Amino acid sequence: MTKKKTSASKKQVRPSSHRHTHGQRHCVDLLRQLSAYIDDELPADICREIRRHLGACPNCEVFIASLQHTVTLCRHRPAPQLTSTERVDMRRTILDLANAR
Amino acid sequence: MRASAPKTLPQRPAMQEPDEFDKLYRDHVDLIYRYAHRLCGETESAKDLVQETFLNAYQGLKDFRGEAKASTWLYTIASRACIRMRRKRKGEPEHELSLDEFVPTSEGEFRLQVPMDGLSPEEALQNKELRHALDQAIEKLPSKYRMALVLRDMEGLSAKEVGAIMGLNERAVKSRLHRARLFVRRELSARGITHHGDHRSGGVSS
Repeated sequence: MTKKKTSASKKQVRPSSHRHTHGQRHCVDLLRQLSAYIDDELPADICREIRRHLGACPNCEVFIASLQHTVTLCRHRPAPQLTSTERVDMRRTILDLANAR
Repeated sequence: MRASAPKTLPQRPAMQEPDEFDKLYRDHVDLIYRYAHRLCGETESAKDLVQETFLNAYQGLKDFRGEAKASTWLYTIASRACIRMRRKRKGEPEHELSLDEFVPTSEGEFRLQVPMDGLSPEEALQNKELRHALDQAIEKLPSKYRMALVLRDMEGLSAKEVGAIMGLNERAVKSRLHRARLFVRRELSARGITHHGDHRSGGVSS
């Protein structure tokens, strides 16, 4: 997803019309919407505007890539599993506690 | 003379539910353990949380009418139990995360990267340093933000489902999730993790 959006943004680079110094209001506004952008929750016209901004602002482009990587890593972080003995032992403890109350 | 019938039916004692409980436990214990481990960050607390969750579920089983999915019901019980257990342990109010604290103030801060180096997420997570940094960043999150991130980005639930579990509207879920992601991103990128020679070291389970 990031790759698709990143390449789309590169096609729209317009350095002359969008050159700016960093820390502009636009970048801060973008930062507020990045999760909605990553999750495909924004209307098409706002997505277009964001892609246009990303194409003109390498800092924001790096920022969004790092946020996308963060989400990707969270989604793929494996979690440990219980062993069958642990499952059985825990069930017994729960039922013992329930009957004791 | 016959005794008049009681006005309300006596409640079924919980002990009459072993089959229902066993099915609930069998079908969901792995899911709830995974969730608990992601919330607690370590094995013993995760087991305590699973125990507390299923104990509460056992006692509440007679009132569960299947209006919500069983998994949603258990996630809700586990989330509440987690907050109670943490409060007992820590006893201090948790701080709010403000969006302003994530606005980079320098170009360098803006351009900090989370190292993926063109790797797949599975390959990247072979790096023990990155894996630990990710776990620590999630562990450092205040509970309500961690819960939103774990349920949405790690358990893969929709914002609506997360809202039902946490008692929030979708907007509030998305706001918490966004702050949580920005927090973890900042923690990860500020660590300057490298991939030098560590791709194959360590299993993914630790």
